[in-house]
Parts: sequence; C-alpha cells; structure tokens
Amino acid sequence: MDEKYSSNVISSGKLGRVEAPDARLTRYIVLLYFTKLMKAFGIFESYDLLKVVHIVQFLFILKMGCAMILVFFQKPFSSGKMIPKRQWIKIFKHAVMSCVISLLGFFGLTLCGPLRTLLLFEHSDVVVISLLSVLFTSSGGGPSKTRGAALFIIAVICLLLFDNDDLMAKMAEHPEGHHDSALTHALYTGIAFLGVADHKGGVVLLVLALCLKVAFNTASRKLSVEIGGAKRLYALSNLVSAVVLLPWVIVLSATTESKVESWSGLILPFAMIIFSVMILDFYVESICTAKLETSRCARYGSIFLFLSGLLLANFWTHPLTDQLRVISKPGQQSSTEHVLSGGVLVSACFFIMADSILSAPSSKGQKGTLVGYSPEGTPLYNFMGDALQHTSQSLPRFIKDSLKQILEEYDSRQIFYFLCLNLAFTFVELFYGVWTNSLGLISDGFHMLFDCSALVLGLFAALMTRWKATRIYSYGYGRVEILSGFINGLFLMVIAFFVFVESVTRVIDPPNINTDMLTPVSVGGLLVNLVGICAFSHAHSHGASKGSCSGHDHGHSHHGHGHGSAEHSHGGHGHSHGGHGHSHGHGHSHGGGGGMNANMRGVFLHVLADTLGSVGVIISTLLIKQFGWLIADPICSLFIATLIFLSVIPLLKDACEVLLLRTPPENDKELNFALEKIQKIEGVLSYRDPHFWRHSASVIAGTIHLQLMSDVVEQRVIQQVSAVLKDAGVNNLTIQLEKEAYFQHMSGLSTGFHEVLTMTQQMESMKYYKDGTCIM
Amino acid sequence: MLPLSIKDDEYKPAKFNLFVKLSGWFRSILADKTSRNLFFFLCLNLSFAFVELMYGIWSNSLGLISDSFHMFFDCTALLAGLAASVISRWRSNDSFSYGYVRAEVLAGFVNGLFLIFTAFFIFSEGVERALEPPDVHHERLLPVSIAGLLVNLVGIFVFQHGGHGHSHDGEGHGHSHSLFNGSVGHGHSHGGHGHSHESKHGHDHGHDHGHSHGGHGHSHDDPHCHDDHSHTPGKGSSKQILQGVFLHIVADTLGSVGVIISAILMQKYDLMIADPVCSMLIALLIGVSVVPLLRESIGILMQRTPPSLDHALPECYQRVQQLQGVYNLQEPHFWTLCTDVYIGTLKLLVAPDADSRWILSQTHNIFTQVGVRQLYVQVDVAAM
Repeated sequence: MDEKYSSNVISSGKLGRVEAPDARLTRYIVLLYFTKLMKAFGIFESYDLLKVVHIVQFLFILKMGCAMILVFFQKPFSSGKMIPKRQWIKIFKHAVMSCVISLLGFFGLTLCGPLRTLLLFEHSDVVVISLLSVLFTSSGGGPSKTRGAALFIIAVICLLLFDNDDLMAKMAEHPEGHHDSALTHALYTGIAFLGVADHKGGVVLLVLALCLKVAFNTASRKLSVEIGGAKRLYALSNLVSAVVLLPWVIVLSATTESKVESWSGLILPFAMIIFSVMILDFYVESICTAKLETSRCARYGSIFLFLSGLLLANFWTHPLTDQLRVISKPGQQSSTEHVLSGGVLVSACFFIMADSILSAPSSKGQKGTLVGYSPEGTPLYNFMGDALQHTSQSLPRFIKDSLKQILEEYDSRQIFYFLCLNLAFTFVELFYGVWTNSLGLISDGFHMLFDCSALVLGLFAALMTRWKATRIYSYGYGRVEILSGFINGLFLMVIAFFVFVESVTRVIDPPNINTDMLTPVSVGGLLVNLVGICAFSHAHSHGASKGSCSGHDHGHSHHGHGHGSAEHSHGGHGHSHGGHGHSHGHGHSHGGGGGMNANMRGVFLHVLADTLGSVGVIISTLLIKQFGWLIADPICSLFIATLIFLSVIPLLKDACEVLLLRTPPENDKELNFALEKIQKIEGVLSYRDPHFWRHSASVIAGTIHLQLMSDVVEQRVIQQVSAVLKDAGVNNLTIQLEKEAYFQHMSGLSTGFHEVLTMTQQMESMKYYKDGTCIM
Repeated sequence: MLPLSIKDDEYKPAKFNLFVKLSGWFRSILADKTSRNLFFFLCLNLSFAFVELMYGIWSNSLGLISDSFHMFFDCTALLAGLAASVISRWRSNDSFSYGYVRAEVLAGFVNGLFLIFTAFFIFSEGVERALEPPDVHHERLLPVSIAGLLVNLVGIFVFQHGGHGHSHDGEGHGHSHSLFNGSVGHGHSHGGHGHSHESKHGHDHGHDHGHSHGGHGHSHDDPHCHDDHSHTPGKGSSKQILQGVFLHIVADTLGSVGVIISAILMQKYDLMIADPVCSMLIALLIGVSVVPLLRESIGILMQRTPPSLDHALPECYQRVQQLQGVYNLQEPHFWTLCTDVYIGTLKLLVAPDADSRWILSQTHNIFTQVGVRQLYVQVDVAAM
C-alpha cells in the first residue's frame, strides 16, 4: 500500500510536468492510476490462481461473479426498454466472442506471465487502431505515427527475441500429460504447428488476441447503442457468457479432478480479481473517457498500467509478498515465476513510448511564429522557417536526407568517409580487445571513439553551414563552420596541454611500458590517419592558402603562403596533389568565399595530431625495444604536444579574428581601395563607421554611413557605392545615407544629449570636408 | 592629390618595448575593478599552485605535482578572462572596426568550453574508477583540497559581488563604442563621464570596503584607480567573462568539496565507491551549469537575433511598415555585439515621393526605443 501511494505521488508529479491538467482532471487521472494499479495487481493474482484453477473454470467464475454484481447494480432487466429476441441473439454472439477473447488472453497469461501479458494485451483501442492504420493504409497520420508503429513493432520483437526467460524454456518441454483440456491441447498443437517455441507462441497469441479484442470492441459499439448503453451490454454479455460456459464447466469438473484443495481459500483472491480486473477497470475507464479525451485517457491508462506492472513484477517475487501468498494459499509452488529480464524492460520502455506517440491525437494545426499584426489588427503568423524545422520528421527519411546532404558536397563527404573508416577501425579494435580481453586495446578504442567526436563535430558543422537563414539567425548558419574549427582547435590545445603535463610527470618518473601490443595497433592507427591526411590536406591547402604561416603541418600545405586569392591556391594545389582530381568541385565551392574553411582545418589538424601521436608511439616503441630507453616515450610525447600546440595556434588566431569581427585581412587592400573610390563619388562628402566583417566563408557583411550633399540623387549613390563594395567582396551591404537635414531631424527628435553632441561634431567635420573638397 | 582619408598614415611599425607594454598592461588591468579582481585572484591561484608544485617536488609526491598542473590549467581560465577584459578595452582600429569588445563573449565561450572538457574528462575518469575503484591514499588529499576550497571560496565571494557591481556598466561602455569612433569617441566619453563616474564611485566604495579582504594589501590602489576610471571611458567587463570565470571557480569549489566529502567518506566508512560517484556527480553539475553560458555565447558569436529582442522586433517591423511611404522592409539583421549592445541593419523600400529623411529618423527612433544602439538603414526608392 505504501508503495502505491508513493508511486501515486510520483505519477501525478510527472503529469504536472507533461501537460499540467487542471485540478479536476488530476483527480480523474489519479483515479485512473489507482485503477490501473489494481488491475495489474489483479492480473498478477490471476496468474497465480491460474496455476491451480483450470482456465475455463477460472473464466466462468470471473464472468459469473462479474455478472452477478453487475446485474445487481445495473439492473439490466428492470431498467430500460425491453430487448427483442433478435438482439438477444446478437448479445449471445457478443458473449461467445468475448469468451473466446478472454480465453485467449488468459491462456496467453499462463504462457507468458503477467508482466508480458500486461505489456502485450492491455493496449487501448486507439493505439491499436492507429497502429493498424499506419501499417495497412498509406496515410497513417504522418511520420510521428510511423515512428510510433516502428517502436511498437520493435517492442514486440524485443519480447520475442531478447527475452530469455528460463521458465519458458522449461515449459517448452512439457510432458504430454500436462494438458488438461481439449482447448489447451488444441492451442498447444496450434502453436507447435506454427513452429515457434512456447513463450513466443504466447506472444504471438497475445498479439492476435489483442487485434481480435480491438475488432470486437469496435464491432460491439453499434450493438451497445442498440441495447441502450455499454454498461447494460456489458452486464448482459457477462451473464450470457457465464451461461454459455456453464455446461463446459460442468463437464470439465465431472471428468477431471481439480487441483484445488479448498475453494474457500480462493474466494478472497477471486473477489479481488473480479473487482479489480472486470468491474472497477470498466467503470473507471468509461468515466475517464467521458471526462478526459479518449486519447489522453488511453495514453495515461496504458502508461500507468505498464509502470505498475513493472513495479509489481519487481516486488511480486519479493520474499515478503511470497510469504503473504503462501499464507493465503498454502501448497503453492513458487518456483515457476517469470523473471524480469532486460528484454522485457527494454520492450516495456518501447511500449510506453509507442503508446504515448500512437495515442497522441494527430495534430493538424501547426504552430507558427507571430510575425506581427496586419493593418486590420489580425495577427499574422509565420509558418515558414523555424516552425517547419521543428516539426517531427520521420527518422528514416531524416537519415536519408542528411546522408544525401553529406554526400552532396566535397568537404562533408570527405569527413564522412573518414569518419566511417575511423569508426570501423575503432570497432575492430574494440571487438578484438574484448575478445582477447586486453584492457589496453579497449581503452585505446575508447580513445579513438573520443577522437571521432571531433570528426562528428566537423561533419555536423559542415552540414549545418548549409542550413538556410532563419528569422532568428538572419545571416544564416555559416558561422558554425568557424565555431567548429575554433572548438576543435581549443580541444587540441587542451589535449596537447594534458599530454604535455603527463609527459613531464613521466620524464621525472618513467614508468615501465608494455610494448608488445602497441606496435600493430599504432601502425594500424597510423595507416588510417595517413589516409585521413591525404584526404584532408587537399582541403587544407585551401584553408592554409589564406596566409596562415604555420611552421609545422606542411609538406602539403605550405604553398600559397601569404597570397590571398583563390587562383594561387589552385596553382599550389595542382602542384602538390596532382592525382586527386577533386579540384573542380572544390575550387568552385570556394570560389566566392575566398577559400577559408576553418572547419576543415580543425578536422585536419585533429587528424594530424593523431598521426603524430601514432608516429611518436611507434618511434618510442622502437627505441625502447632496441635500446631500452624508457625516457624516449615521454620525450616523444613532449615533442608531439609542442608540435600540436604550435600548429593549432594559427587556426585559433584566424578563428578568433573572424569571431571578433575583424575586417577580413585578405580583402583589406581592396576595401581600402574601395573606400577611397567611394570618397571620389560625386556628391559624397564623407563616410563614417565603415564596418566590414566576415560572417562565414561566403558572406562578408558591411555597413557604412555616407554623408551626402543635399542635392544628390540618393539612389544613384547607393547603386554606385554598392557596386564598388561588391567588387571588393562585400556581399551583404547596408548603406545609410545622411544629408545635412538628417541631423537637424535627428536632433529635433527625442534623441539624447550624446547624440546631439555627435551631431554637432559630425557637422563640424563635414564642414571641414566640404572645405577640403572646395579647395580641391 | 591630397589624401582624403586619414587611414593611410596609420601603418606605423609598432615600437616594441616590453617594459612599457607590460606596465601599460598592468595599469590597464588595475584600472578596472573586474580585471583587478581577476588579476589578484589569478595571483592567489598561481601562488597556491607554485607552493603546491614546490612542495610536491620537495616531498617527491606525484599526486601533488599533477594537482598543481591541474591548478595551472585552471589558471588559464582566469588568464583568458583577464586577457579578454584587457583586450576588450582596446580601441577599435582599422581592422577591428567594432573594437575588441567581442573578446569578452569569446572569453566566456572559451571558459565554458574548457569547463565542458574538464567535466567530460572527470566524468570519464569517474566511470573508469567506478568500474574498478583504485586505492586512493587519502592522507595528503584532505589538507590540499581544503586549502584549494578556501582559495576558491575567496574567489566566489569576490566575483559574485563584482558581477553585481558591473552588470549595468555595459550600457555606457557599449554606447561609447557603438555610435562613435575615433576622435568622436573622445568627445563622448567626456560627456558621459560625469554620469558613469558617479555611479561607479558609489559602487566601488560599497564593494571595496566589504571585500578587499584585508590580507591582500591592495587597498592602497583603490583611490588611485578611481582616478584611472575617470580617464578611461566607462568600461566594465561584461557578464560573459564574469559568468565564465565564476562558473569555473564554482566548478573548482565543487571539485574540492567533492574531494573532501569523498575523502571523509573513505576514511570513516571505507566507501571506496564514494570518490568516483562524487566526481561523476560534480561533472554532471558542471556540465549542466555551463550549458546556458555556452548557448548564450554561441548565439552571440553566430550573430543570432538577440533573444531579448525576439518579441519586440516584429512589432517594430510593423510600425516601420506603417510609416507613410514605406512599401517594404527587407533583410533585417539584428545581432549582439557584446552584452547589451545590439546592432541592426535594415533595408527599406520606399515610395518615390516619400520623405526619406523623415522615414530614416523615424525608423531610428523606433528601434532605439527597443534598445538597438546602432542601426543602419538603407533607403531604397522603389522603381516606378
């Protein structure tokens, strides 16, 4: 009981976070949860009972008890209109169907155990219907539903494959005498005919029963209207099915002897099951469906049920409850419990997710961002851009799309291939390490995995760079590239620092290194990284052509030192790597941007650092093996750390400059020239606040204020100036024109003291310039 | 031909004089309260690390040596903050037309990244240790970590208050940068000076009394620094640096607290698992606390539309479009230069007969009201 209340609290807390229902709804939800807990309890109990009581007897007792209580409360005969004969036949059919379904369900329960039954059988109709509509119709309701269906199927498969339950294996070799009825035997042979093991048969059976149940519920909806309410139908149907089952039960108890010693001891559990599983659940569910929406009710109901099922499955085998049960029902063997396994847990998680997705109402109305108000006062929404980006996307389509995007462009393709190579190497290493149980290999594998994070970052940045500009990121995401390069550079710095520190401590106290395993692994790593260097150095030559004077990482990259233009790097590139043949696409993609790609440089440096690391390991291993110089290892790593450090600095410097909004150094001269030209444009008095900065590889933004003489056509000046600056490489330009009258306007308006001050200063300087031009 | 722009003659080779440069840096560090705090805390930290290193070498304990290196690494965060607070006060020049104010955002970003790295390393180490708990000899740990905790506590107190005192200085500072450049800036700083000086005066008094912590002996500098304040146009390091540094110190403090707790647990109850669990928890805490800082600074560095303007801007666009003669508003770009300094560019498509000056000043007015300090409006006349 205690645990029930605590979980009540927990669940309601979670609800508050999820949807924040008002207080009245919370009451119903708590009630729902309580009911579901009771139901789970009842199902666990009935699993225990089914071990001693025959399934048909069990079902008969359930239906009988339920019918008695319902007839007493609902009074189906005295209230409401009379039921014609035709409808009695329908009710009879209904009852027979419900008997069959319950039989299947409870039989599945004996096969699979209570928790698995809960997981499989107790889905609400909404979930199953949307699942089926996703599976069998073309318009399932969008990608999110597809995802939910996929989750559902994964969960079922998890139960089928990964749930190695010992008990089920035991039951698979059942003796022939175990079957105590024709029905059970028929089912067993049916399952055996399907060629699956017993518990898997149970799972399949339950799934089938679930589908049947849903179809049955849907079909009986019409009947319930005709009869006059679902409750009345339920009561009558229970009564009829009890009557139907009665002859069978009589025959059964006449032919076979019961395993039950005393029926009186079972009265309490039976009453409990009848109350919780059959009656309380039915009533509460109908109330909640009326008060909440159906989908919400279904979602919460199944989630609560699964959670309480998991909870109970955890505590059911607990010695305390075991003891309790032994007291209430002596002579019960407790060895045949279905244990919790990892597969069940995983599939429970999947089921919960699938249910919450599938039962969510399909939302047609999309949220837009408020843009503003139209002149008439109606709100305007923006459905483009960010709103669309955040809508759920189908996972496979997403993967396909991003793969396509990755492969589209040279940079990201290169990173992607190398990442795959690296990952493959890492996994081989890890598997080999696990196989041979070598800790060194495993830790090295994890280190490699960690290195891959830099590659992933680079890949992600290369992808993100191509995103369209949104309202929030109005310049586009081009900066990501620089940021990623910066982060990679910083990262390398930190690593270099740590390596440095480590090797300093090792110089002081050289440890004994086990060198047997190191060489093949590091040679493999070296090979992989060499491939990476070959792939990236090409891109790097573009990056480095911009005038980074790194002293260490070249061999491939040092051409075009100090020249700013793309042509030079083309030449250098042809000269150093004749055989690559990518020059076209690459040169093109960088044609507009002046050839700066911090991202690729960062990735390249990372790979380079790794290569240096493996080279260092190989050299030091050789030295140690040959000459026994233990000091070689730390000295090597000292050296390498320094190298990495020095080679990262130019990258960091460049990235910092971009981030600090420096005027692009490679356009410096042209910009100065352009500014001079602007001065000479007719009618321009002077300019002020020229800001030019590189936003990303392809965007250079600029703003400038121009002071004009009062008799110039503004539009012509704007065109001239923007043409001049476009020639200088600025492609995102804003020009603010100011005439003398502008300042009077500004000072007349409610501008502050400082502004007026500047205005006057500006005016003075303008006068000066005017004089200057007059003199000229 | 007369040179019309004065830009050409600024390519002087800078005379490199180390001493002058150093003293200049030193003075500029001492000029501002934040950087002064940073500097002294850095000194404190460095001396602590040196003492630890010396003691480690002397007693030949590897643990102490590596811990001191860790301290040095921590100092880099402070150093970054200090450098940024100095750099951000450099004047804007030809290449850096906006000045170096972004350095503070960058410093916050770098600090945040470092913290994330540290948290990651600690976490992976914690996982490793949780799998096979090593024998930690905890005799020496406790005193060192308590000393570290004390040092860091000092830092927390100093920076908490520093952050308060300077949280609104950004405005005045941004002002001086955003609207005026070069020689004009001088005039402004004179004008704005009285105001900013007064407010700062009050602040400094309040704080330096409470928090100079006696033992440092730099209380002498303070009156002098007040004078310095009046010379430099009102600058204060922004919250980005402070937040980064503060987070770093908090992380360190948490680290020492964790070490102390786990050392006590290990000594008293022999709970060997306490150490990795503590360090994992701390790593998680650090990671979570850094995320907002990182997100904010990445947003600024990527020229995101300032979040505080997110809701105000659509309304402004609306108002601009309702001005008489404005047909359309194109390519609105708004971004943050540094804390509280927003810059925007707009293009307006106006009717041929519209009064473009009036529109210009109205637009300026509208956006100044929301807090956009620097606005560039290009008025394009629609072709008819």
